[in-house]
Parts: sequence; C-alpha cells; structure tokens
Amino acid sequence: MQREAAIREPLILGNKSYKDITDDVVGPIQGPAPIGWKIMITISAIIAVYGVGSILYLLGTGIGVWGLNKTVGWSWDITNFVWWVGIGHAGTLISAVLLLFRQKWRMAINRSAEAMTIFAVIMAATFPGIHMGRIWVSYWVLPLPNQFGSLWVNFNSPLLWDVFAISTYFSVSLVFWYIGLIPDFATIRDRMVKPLPKKIYGILAFGWSGRAKHWTRFEEVSLVLAGIATPLVFSVHSIVSMDFATSVIPGWHTTIFPPYFVSGAVFSGFAMVQTLLLIMRKGMKLENYIHVKHVEYMNIVIIVTGSIVGVAYLTELFISWYSGVEYESYAFINRFSGPYSWSYWIMMTCNVISPQLFWFKKIRRSLIATFILSIVVNIGMWFERYVIIVTSIHRDYNPSSWGEFHPSSMDVGIFIGTLGIFFTLFLGFARFFPVLALNELKTILKSSGEAYKKQHDNH
Amino acid sequence: MNKVFHVMYDDDDTLKGAASQLVAKGIRVKDVFSPFPIHGIDPIIGVKRTRLAIASFMYATTGTTLALLGMWYFMISDWPMNIGGKPSFSLIENLPAFIPVTFEFSVLCAAHGMAITYLLRNGTLPGMPATNPDPRTTDNMFVMEITTEDNHLAADELESFIKETPLVELSIKEYK
Amino acid sequence: MSQNKRYWSGLDELHGTEEFKAIQGQEFPGVQSVDEFLSDDRLESTHTGRRDFLKFMGFSLTAATLAACETPVIKSIPYTNKPEEVTPGVANYYASTFYNGQDYGQVLVKTREGRPIFIKSNALTGEGKVGVRVNASVMGLYDSARLNGPRKGGQPTDWATIDADVQAALAAGGRKVVLTHSVASPSLNRAISLFCAATGAEHVQYDAISYSGMRKANVADYGRDMVPTFALDRAEAIVTIGADFLGTWGDVAVQTTAWSKGRQPENGKMSSLHAFESVMTLTGSNADRRNMIKPSEAGRVALALLNGLTGGGNNGDLSESAAAGIAPAVAALKAAGSKGLVVAGSNDPNVQLIVNACNRALGAYGTTVDLENAWVLGRGNDEAFAALVADMAAGKVGTLLIHGVNPAYTSTAFATALGKVKASISTSLFADETASRCTHIAPDHHWLESWGDAQRTTKRVDWVQPTISPLFDSRAAGSSFLTWANNPETDWYTFLRQTWNPNYTADQLYTDAAWNSSLHDGFMALESEGLPVSFEGAGSGLAAAKQAVMATKGGAFELAFYQKNTIGQGDQTANPMLQETPDPLTKITWDNYVTMAKSDMDAMGLNTYIGQEKPASVVRVTVGGQSVEMPAMLLPGQKPGTIGIALGYGRGANGEEVGKAAFQMAENGDFLRDANSALVPVGTNAFPLLGSASGLPQYEQLNVAVEATGATYALASTQIHSTDMGRDSIVKETTFGAYFAERKAAKGSASWNKLIRIGVHEDVNGDGVINAQDSKPTAAFDLWHEHPVEEVGHRWGMTIDLTTCTGCSACVTACHIENNVPVVGKDEVRRHRDMHWMRIDRFFASDYSLERGEEEGVGAIGSYRRMEDPAENPQTVHMPMMCQHCNHAPCETVCPVAATTHSNEGLNQMTYNRCIGTRYCANNCPYKVRRFNWFNYPGYKKFMNFNPSQDNLTRMVLNPDVTVRSRGVMEKCSMCVQRIQEGKLNAKKAGTKVPDGAVVTACAEACPTNAIQFGDLNDKQSHVAAVSENNRAYHALEEIGVQPNIFYMTKVRNTESTEA
Repeated sequence: MQREAAIREPLILGNKSYKDITDDVVGPIQGPAPIGWKIMITISAIIAVYGVGSILYLLGTGIGVWGLNKTVGWSWDITNFVWWVGIGHAGTLISAVLLLFRQKWRMAINRSAEAMTIFAVIMAATFPGIHMGRIWVSYWVLPLPNQFGSLWVNFNSPLLWDVFAISTYFSVSLVFWYIGLIPDFATIRDRMVKPLPKKIYGILAFGWSGRAKHWTRFEEVSLVLAGIATPLVFSVHSIVSMDFATSVIPGWHTTIFPPYFVSGAVFSGFAMVQTLLLIMRKGMKLENYIHVKHVEYMNIVIIVTGSIVGVAYLTELFISWYSGVEYESYAFINRFSGPYSWSYWIMMTCNVISPQLFWFKKIRRSLIATFILSIVVNIGMWFERYVIIVTSIHRDYNPSSWGEFHPSSMDVGIFIGTLGIFFTLFLGFARFFPVLALNELKTILKSSGEAYKKQHDNH
Repeated sequence: MNKVFHVMYDDDDTLKGAASQLVAKGIRVKDVFSPFPIHGIDPIIGVKRTRLAIASFMYATTGTTLALLGMWYFMISDWPMNIGGKPSFSLIENLPAFIPVTFEFSVLCAAHGMAITYLLRNGTLPGMPATNPDPRTTDNMFVMEITTEDNHLAADELESFIKETPLVELSIKEYK
Repeated sequence: MSQNKRYWSGLDELHGTEEFKAIQGQEFPGVQSVDEFLSDDRLESTHTGRRDFLKFMGFSLTAATLAACETPVIKSIPYTNKPEEVTPGVANYYASTFYNGQDYGQVLVKTREGRPIFIKSNALTGEGKVGVRVNASVMGLYDSARLNGPRKGGQPTDWATIDADVQAALAAGGRKVVLTHSVASPSLNRAISLFCAATGAEHVQYDAISYSGMRKANVADYGRDMVPTFALDRAEAIVTIGADFLGTWGDVAVQTTAWSKGRQPENGKMSSLHAFESVMTLTGSNADRRNMIKPSEAGRVALALLNGLTGGGNNGDLSESAAAGIAPAVAALKAAGSKGLVVAGSNDPNVQLIVNACNRALGAYGTTVDLENAWVLGRGNDEAFAALVADMAAGKVGTLLIHGVNPAYTSTAFATALGKVKASISTSLFADETASRCTHIAPDHHWLESWGDAQRTTKRVDWVQPTISPLFDSRAAGSSFLTWANNPETDWYTFLRQTWNPNYTADQLYTDAAWNSSLHDGFMALESEGLPVSFEGAGSGLAAAKQAVMATKGGAFELAFYQKNTIGQGDQTANPMLQETPDPLTKITWDNYVTMAKSDMDAMGLNTYIGQEKPASVVRVTVGGQSVEMPAMLLPGQKPGTIGIALGYGRGANGEEVGKAAFQMAENGDFLRDANSALVPVGTNAFPLLGSASGLPQYEQLNVAVEATGATYALASTQIHSTDMGRDSIVKETTFGAYFAERKAAKGSASWNKLIRIGVHEDVNGDGVINAQDSKPTAAFDLWHEHPVEEVGHRWGMTIDLTTCTGCSACVTACHIENNVPVVGKDEVRRHRDMHWMRIDRFFASDYSLERGEEEGVGAIGSYRRMEDPAENPQTVHMPMMCQHCNHAPCETVCPVAATTHSNEGLNQMTYNRCIGTRYCANNCPYKVRRFNWFNYPGYKKFMNFNPSQDNLTRMVLNPDVTVRSRGVMEKCSMCVQRIQEGKLNAKKAGTKVPDGAVVTACAEACPTNAIQFGDLNDKQSHVAAVSENNRAYHALEEIGVQPNIFYMTKVRNTESTEA
C-alpha cells in the first residue's frame, strides 16, 4: 500500500481507528442537538423568515421597492447573485479539481464545502428570479414551443447562457455531492437504532452495501464527474462574467473578465469555506480532522487567487488608460475617484491587501486571524461586484443620463435574508448529514493518519 | 444444499492477503463488503473494469448533438429573427453565440446520464433494502462472501481453507 | 219498477246524428293513435329533406351556441345608429383654435370614437406650430375637477336660478363690470358690448401677464394702443432684452416657427440672436451670444444699443457682463440694418420707448416690426383693473362678471376686494381661486366643447368648433352674456354665424358652402388694410425715458420674474403632463424655485447639486414687506446678484379645486398635508411679489433680500448632470463661419463633422508604414455578416437638427400623450424613474477641458472634476434623445427571451407581452432611453392622483391605438409604430407606395421648428433620406458602431468664436 513522506504533516490527528472515525462523525447525529446549534439555527431562521417576507413584498408590489432607477437597472440584485455564485465555486472546485490533483487534504472539507456550494447556488439562483419584472413568466427563459404561449428564446443572450450554466452547475454539483453521500448514509443507517431515523437514512442510502463492484464503479463515477465538473466550475463563472463582458458598457466590456471572475470566485469560495469550517470544527469537535494544516492549505489558495484578482484589477486600470478610449478611461477614473470611490477602495483593501497577510506563516496558521480575514475577503468580494455593476452603469456613455444609486430597505432586507436562509440550510446539514466524507477519510487513514505514520517511522 | 460463507476481517490489508491466499487455492471469492474502497482487491477477486466512463462520453456527445440541433432549429430554421443585426442565416455564422449552451448541455447530459446509469447498474435506488451481511461492514469490518455454488470444492473443504486465513468471525448460512 | 227515462250527453246523442254515431265507439274522439298514423300510407308522400334537416340542425346549433355565450365586452356602449362621420378605429380631425389668454394657436384636434385625444398644429394656416402648453391642453378637457354644473354659493344650482340672480343683481345697481382677459373672439366681444349696452355695464380687460408698457410706448410714439407683430423670419439680427419670445413672450407659436426659418445654415445665411437677460430663458439658451444683465440694467442696455446705433451718447453705468455684449450686438444690428430687430420684455414704458427708438434707428418698421398688422391680444388695461379693484374694495361694485381670467390668483388685492362685491359671477370651468370666491359660477364650455371664433391679427379670423358634446352641464359664456342681456338671440352658434353673416338664418345651417369650407380649413381670411401709422410724435418721450432708465438702480439682490416654458402663466398647473415635463433649462419637474448663480449660492453655503438624496437648500426671499421661502436652484447663466422666480405655480393655495395634479403628493400617493392638514400646492405663487411702477405690474423687483434658512426641500430633476464632459461624438457643434467655409465638404470630411475612424494594424493609406494614420471608419468594422438594411423595404428613420431645436419640449408632451406614457409624479422622478420615451438632453458648456487641464498641469482626475461644472454663462445645447433604433442594437442581443428585436423596417421593436423584465437591455443601452415599469402605474395607489390612466374621466384621453403597459415590462420609443401601420394601411388601400410625409411621428409632427423630420431612409426621394446625406448629419456615439437610424445635424451657432 502507498506510503506518504514522513515529513508531511499527518492529515488525521490522534490515534484514530476506522471505528473512531465513524463514531466521531455519526455520534453527533445520533446524540441530542447541542444548545449552541439550537441558538444559532433560531437566529438564522428568524433572519430567513424576514428575508422571505421582504421577497414576498417585492413580488407583490414591483421592482420599484428596490433603489434601482432608469440609469442603474441592476445593483444589489445582481451583485448578490454573482457573489453567491462565486461562493458556490469552492465546493465543486475542492472536490473535483483537488480530486484530480489527488490532494488528500480535500477529504476532510469537501463534503461540507459541497454542501455550502449547493446552498450558495440556491441563494444565487433566487436573485435572477426575483429581479425579473414579471417572475410569474420566468419559465419563458426555457425554449418552450410556441403553442405553450411563448416564442423560442434568444440564444445570443448571455443571460440565457446563465440559465443553462447555473442550472447545469447546480444539478451536477448536487449529483456529485449525493453520490459521495450514499455510502456514508449507509454507514449512518447501519448505526441508527431508532426505527424512524433508520428508515429515513435507509431510504437516503439507496440500499448501499459496499460491494467491491460498487466501490469500483463509485470511484470511476467520482473520477469522471470530477473530470467534467472541473471545466464546469470554470465555465459557470466565465459565463456569468459574460453578462458584463459581452455588453457595450465601459467597465463591463472587458475581455479579462472570465479568468478574473473565476479566480475571484475561488477566492471568495475558499474564504466562505474557512468561515464555516472554523465554526463547524469547534461546534462538532472535528479538530482532529480539520486542523491547522487544512486551514493553511486553504489560506495558500486564498493568497494565490487573491493575488490573481489583484493583478486583474491593476490590468483593468492599465488597459483603460492604454486603450486611449475616453469612455473606458473615464469609467475607471470614475471608479477610484468618483462618487462611488469608497466602494472601490473597500474592495482594494479587502481583496488585494488583506490576503497578502497570509504570506506570514504565523497569520496563515492562526485560526482567529484566518476567521477574521475570511470574512473581510467576502466583504471585499461583495464590493467587487458592486463596484463593477454600479460604478460602471451609473456613469456610462451619455452624461445626460448619469445617475445615482441609493439602496432601499428592501435591497438590504433581501440580502440579509438570503444569508439567513443559507445559514439555516447549512446548520441543518451540519446536524443531520455526515459532515466528513467517511469512506474517503478511511482510505487515507493508514497513509496520512498520525498514529499510522508514527508506526511507519518506527519500522 | 448450498452454503454461503461470510468471512469477516478487521483490516482491509488482512482481507486482501486472505483473498489472494484463497484465490491461489483456486477458490472463487464471490464478493467483498467493505466500508470503503479497498484498492487492489478487484484484480484479486476478478472484478472487471467498469465501462461507465464510455457511457458518460456517449451521453455527452448526445447532449452536444441535441444542443446544436435544437439551437439550429430554434434560431435558424424555425423562427429566424434579426437580433441586433446578428446573422441568423446559418448555424456556422451564429455558432460562437451557441458555444456556451452547447458545452453546458453536454456536461448536463454526461453527468446525469452517467449518474443514473451508475445507480441503475448498482441497483442502488431510493428505498432499496441493504444487502450487506453485517451492519459493521459499513463501519470498520470487512467481509468476504464465498459460496459453495460457484466453487467446485465441498463445503467443509472450503471452510477449512477459510479458517486458515486470519479471520475474526465466520458465519455460514445455508440456502436453497 | 223499471224506468225508461234516458239521460243524454248532448243534443247530438238525443237526436242520434250521423257524426255522433261515427264517433260513438271511440274513447278519445278526434285523436289518431300512433299505429293509425304510421299505417297511414299518405305518410310516404310527405318527407323532411336532407337540406331541411341540415337547416334545422344548423339553426338549433346556432341557437344553442348563442344561448350559451355571454357578450365578451363588459363596459362599452355600441352606437345604436352609427354616426356617418365616425368609423370606429379611424381618427377624425377637426380644425379649431386654442386661446387661453396667453397662448394662441390654430390646431387640428384628433378625435377617436368622438373623444378628442390629441392636438396638433393646423398646417393649412402656415402660421406657426403650437408648442408644449397647447398640445398638452387636451388633458384639461378630462380634468375630473371640472365643475359639473352651475354653482350658487358653492352649492349646485340650475341655470334658471343663475339667470334670475344675475338679472336681480343687475337691477340692484352699483357698478356693473365685465372682467375678461383680452378677448380674442369678435363674437364674444359683440356679445359683451351688447350686454354692456343693455345693462350699462363696462368691459374691463385684464391679463395675467401685462403688455401695457409696450402699448403705452406705442401710444406715445405712434398714437396706437397696440402690440406690433414681429417678422422674425425676415430678421437678420435679433437683440432681445429679457423677452423670451421663443418660450413665453408674445405670440410664441408664430415667433418660434418664423425664427427657425432664418436659422437654416444651408441657406448660406443665418440670423444672429443676441440676448441680454438675468435668468436664462429658452430664448437666451438659443442665443448665439447671451449676456447676463441685472433687471435694473434693461433700460440702459437698450439705451447703449440706441447710442451704438445712433452714434455716441451716455450709456449710464453697465455691469461688465452687460457692457461686453453691447458692441457685438450693435455690430450685428448695424450689419442687418432694416433687417435688424430689438425687442424687450420689460413692462416699463421708458424701456419700450428706447427700444422703439432703436427699431426706428434701424428702420426696422415695415420689415421686421409690423405695426399695421397688430397683434390684437395683450390688451389688458392695468389702470382700469386697478381702479376696479379700488371700487370693489370700496364696495361700489354691484355686479362683477368674470370670464377667462383668474385675478384672485394673480392679485391678492383683488382676492380680498372680491368679498365686498354684492354679486360676482364667474364663467370659470373650475372652482378656482376667483370662482370659488364668487357668489355664482356659470361654467363655460371647455374650448374643445364649444363653438367660437378668434382673432390673432386683423387679417383673419379662426374658428373654434366643438369636437365633443359638453361633458358637463355647462353653457357657452357668450350665450350666458346674451341671456343676461335679454338679447332676442341667445343661441351661441346662431349668434356666432350672425356675427359673420348678418342675414344668417337657421336653414343655412349646412347649406353655406363658404362657411363649411372655411370651417374645414379652420380660418377665414379678412380683407383689412392695416391702419396707417404716423411717425410724427415718435421719439417725443425719449429724453425723459433716457433720464428714467439712467436713474433706475438696484439693490444687493435683484429679482427677475419669469415663466417656465411648460407651465406659463399657470392656468394649466393641474396638468400632470406639463408638470412632469421638465423645465428645458433646469430639468426640474413639479416645482418652481429660486434660480441663483453659483457664486451667490457658494457665498451663502447653499447646496448646488440636486440629487436623489441631495435636496435643495431653502432660502427666504424678502420683497418689501412680504417674504417667501423657496428652494434655491443653481441655474448657470444667472447674473450674479440676481435671482429668478417662475410665475404660474402655487395654484390652489387655499385648497381650491383647481385639479388634483396641482397639489403635492405624499410618498404613498395621498395628498400631502401641512401642519393644519391643508393641501400643499405644487410650487409657490410669485404673483403677489410682483413689482409695480406707475400702475403697471413690473416683472422684476430691484431690491430684495435673500438669506439661507438652513431648511432643505427635495427637488425632482430628470437630468442631474449638466455638462457633456467634452464628449464630442454626442454633440457636434460649430460656428457659422466654420460651417460656411466647408459647407460644400463631403459628408464626414468637414472639420466640424469628421467621420470617426479607428486605427487598424494594416497599411490603409498605402504610405508603406503602418502608423496612427492608418484608420478605417467605424462602419467598416463588423464582426459578422450583418442583416441587410439598405434598399430592403422601408427603413424608418429620423433626422434631428440641433441648430433649430430650441428645447421647447413640444415633442415631449406630444410623444407622451400619443403613446400613453405614464405620469409617475415628483417622488418617482426624484428617484430617476421618469418614464419619458422622449427627452431633451440639455448640455451646458463647461469652460474646462482635458486640454486646458494639461496646460494648467491639472491631471485627468482634476480636469474631469472641473468639467462637471458648467461655465458661469454657458452656451447651451438642447438635444432631443429617444430610442435610436440601432441596426446593431446592443439591447436586442442581450434579451434572453427575444422580447426586443429588429423589424425588417429598421425599427427596434419592443414586445411588451414577451418581456420578462430583466432590465438587461436598459443597462446595455448606450443612450439610456429604455424605461422600466417599476410599479403597476395604472393601478398602484402611489399614482392614483395624477396618473391619467387612474382617473375614470382623464382615462378618456388615452390613445386606443397604444396599449397601456403593465408592471414589470420595459418600454421605449416605438417611432409611433401605430402611425406607421396606419400609414402603410392607407397606402395599401390607395394601392400606392407610402408617400413621403404620409407617416409622421408625434414628435416630428409637434416640432414647431421642424427640427425633427421623420421618413423612410430607403426611399431615396424622401426628405429624411436627403437630409441624412447632408454633411451636417452624424450618428450620436458613432464610435460604438451600433448604427442608429436616427441622424443628428451638427449644431451651427452664428458666432465667430464658440466661446460665450
């Protein structure tokens, strides 16, 4: 069996056996809900309800309840959409790309990262829906035949590409996630004693019994899904970026967008994973599985992607000047010196400067610092989208139409609400789902488990 | 009167050793139940490589074709429109705009097609009953299934050979 | 024992007749059994044919169907007898005449199914096209605040009571006065004089805006109490001293059109316009050279011009900005000679005397100034009115009949004195400031409901004809006067006919061919030789006048009153269309304010930037005793040390029912109410602040105090950015000199309209090297093999001449009435959500530029900052902006559901039903002309009090050819596609191709200067096709390569240097 260099830090700490791994993960599911969990889910549920209420008011009254106007037709709605989609990139990236690269450390985090992905994409998908003036005819974006009451759709429109990209991304991530979950559901099923939970997990486990043949298929499927999910991850945010890149608006019409958006997405995605995992490992006592090494690995990804994003910002600025197009150059001068320059500088500080702190090993390995910075990064990434959308269109070609944007209480309420829904879903996941990929972790126990490594060293 | 032996081991490597030991004696191991994939067991017990990857490729090509055909029909054949002066005269001219959807739709078909095939071939579908001989096989135990039916040896011979391996438990059932 | 008694059932049985015997055996006599019927062999001969069977089937089927279905239409009343002239779906046009005491215009009224829905100019007259106030006036007909019948003491009553009370009042004695605006109707004049003769009453005319100063000057100089007409088309140099003759001063419709005739660069000469004014008016913004003066300087400016023309003399002291303008103006006037013209808006006779002297010096009389053919309006007699008010206050007035004026609004003295009049009767359509204070109201018909005649000059009479039967229980004012005069003839129509044909009798009702044809045309020419003018006395008062104007001095702040082009003198304040049409200069809607110069505002620390959340600072303006608090608004070109206030606002200050839209709304759509829960009017009434000199109202106050209050007040602006940021590809302008030099240059080559070229990496010019000189025009760049647009069927297009566009906004209201564009109210406009399909972008020139920034070593950032501020006295560009109908439309490609696509006639068409409202198209529009339905405007509470489609009566003005858009869909200019379809159908019926000019959009139709032209660009004979080939034609933002179907024509200013 394969061994791993002794100098590599073990990924699973403590003297763990296969049984311990099972118990560590399944134990909390069988046990009663911790008080901390109850408090957290209550808070997030209340926020979620407020968000749903705001959405209903919006749908009942009209888009006018937002702060949008004739000049700024998109603002918080699409900002939130892109922000959530971006966050939704980490999960699939971790499980797919890192699987292809055989990064074992992914195994501790991919399950919850994918869960986060799915919930984030759900949040993302709400915004294109509710931002429509007439959501009740939103099904018209599907290519339905005339007799159905609508014409064919316009395949030239990036928004339509979005429809396909987001739905594909969501469903494929879901499938990928669930196929990984099946064996672990089986594990839970076989641990459960109460009849009802046993029945439910039995149904969820699809009658998995861990036959050798099934395991081979399982690994094949995971590999192939990873193979097609990887280009998917990159394609989705590229297509989202085309909403802007294919337009004529200075500040939007930029060929650099696809790579810039993808790295930004990974950047914010990993940050969100950090935020969630650091809470989860404490709450569910998973320090042995998700420990400093994992955090450090992710921080390294954050430095890299953060720096790519930083370079992209500077490239944009340079090109806007180098192009010699007055509209282009003004768009960017306006970004950093205009009425919304504050948002630009927030973005710069949070996205370009703050991640550079991770060059210091101390900070990189400090959980507190990581937690704070991960939140800072996500604030920064939200403002990146806000800057791109609002500062570009509030002053575009025709100065007679230059305008302002002032968010309304509904803009804020709905955004906060989606956070509430997101955390409610994630907390539910943490309570009832196997938060670690048991079957995968067990495969690396011998190669990367602390105890086993020691044994090997003794030999 | 057929017999089925469920031989339980507490370690994947032990099971692997035992398996090769038995197979060397010409005994056919029917199946292995394990909490996680035991790398390297397949050649020993003679599990063939799965063809799921090929299936997914075929699903992908189907997706590509459907997407292109569809867009050709919607945008060029059935109801061509002048949209921003863009050409709607032939698929090739309008193709650049169709690339993203084509890609996404291919991925969609490939992923879902393969997933469904996988579940069907496994016979793992919602509400299916568990078939593992012992609940511990999803936790930390590893079970080998050997039947008299697909072995030329007699039951007691088999049993004796099996007993030679470092097993932790052995359950023998009879079935028609 | 047996009995042989026989009981018989009838005489037949008794007598045993044959018939009885025959039927005796049958139980049911006379009834044939089924068997017998079938066994009857005669049955064979009778049969029901297949055809009959089918007939029965068909009938019963139809009967069943009809019985089963309901009538689908819920609220519509079909014609029982179809009127022969009305065809449902086809519009009828009637010639009529608009006159409201300020504006006068010969119009065609478009009616659909008997409803007047649109007003346009009567092209037959060839005399001017009506502007924004006239074509929006159709809304007034359907104002739900109109009185539904006569009133007595505010309570409904009947006409008999009214007439009886009036007779009683007339008998009661005291002074009897008929108070009217300057009457334009000869018949009404005749009726009133009959009334006066019969009752011993006197007729006093009074206008909200007085022209007495000019008339007195003409009396002094020429012995004629009149206002001359001006032939602006003949003028080569025009100097205006505060006379806004393109907006609100004089006979605007005629003046605007005439002025534009002299402004065609293609003719090889252009008239020049020099303006001296305090507040920037529409005229000033169109001037080739505009000079800022204080109101107190108006006379001395005129004097300086006179001295310049007559050689030497003391000008008195002039401020620098005023003095600088004298020399160029004089030079222009001298060059023009008798084709020069000086006009002044001042109501001070002294100023007008000097202006008359100027025009005499020029020899302008007979060429540009026409004394013989006088303007018969503006005849208000201010002294007589003052005397009347005095008598009223003294209680000497017994009966006061008021028609067509609202003096209680314009004069507080009158309002208070009115209470002392024993019987006061108003013919107003509304219970307005005056009528609500009168004892009786005898509502007149709306002009669209009434017969009448009107005269603008002595040369002709224009007819007013009804286009709808009276909506309410109203009576023609003339008929009222005749009734009260006990005139034998009280029928207004007959009386009208008799005015022009004394021996008219009812049987000539339809037979008089001459009358019918003149009624069709809308006017009748009169042969009247203009009255002779004697120049003997001319100039007698000049010396005194000079002394007077030398003496006028102003204080620290001088206040100039002006009228907004949209609201005018204020009798349409309740017209939501006009209220929401932005002021052409400030772009503010739904308010008036104090206009100020930036320097003054900075000195007082007032907010000079109006944004959504940046309200204006409120200032207190104190005039003599009284003071008002109003928001201060930066207006570039305002003379420092002066402020301006627009008249015509603050209607219904005491909650009078002048119309819902005259009042401010809270954000939830309810009426805004002040501390003591009274309605808050839109804007502030500035009439009480007017100055007066020798009994004449003066439209300036020479010494006022202005102080900041610290309070703020939200203003709603449709354009919050003033300058074009030096983006020359949006607005192209040049000077007449530069144009003339290159007038023959091929399109795209002239220095002032160069085709925009993009550098390419190939040796285009073949000089062997690839460098910055190698470039191609944007049209040469195309990613794909495009859809053909040239030579394929129609290609509707438009040309807009920035040289003749005055920014009057007539196109805006015309467009919005034609296309049912929702009125969204002040709060939504403040949130930048106006729904205007057609807007006029106003760009003030900035005196800063990137070049200047480089010279002064200011970086790009600093330069752009400075370029956002307009110059102190900037040149102005008015640029009509609507959907450009791009052939490579960015909006079309991004719509996910193909709701906006390109028609094969070059239209960018918006399919409302298909729209799902992603707003992507609006974001991607470089011109930002798309408008989104943020709310359900026809139903949402917030808009209930001003959106026409929410008022059961006002809804009748909606154009049935255009759908009212629902919530959540995008909308925009459709190039009046409904009119295009109509034109094509008519051509099809006639079997011809669509003739040029057969299809005209509402904006092009309304444009008083014909700056907007519409037609088929593929029809090489069409006017637009020709104009689009003109070397002044260009596409806005050409370098984006969206290839619009709208062409703009480079603005040509008749100046040698573009610096102001």
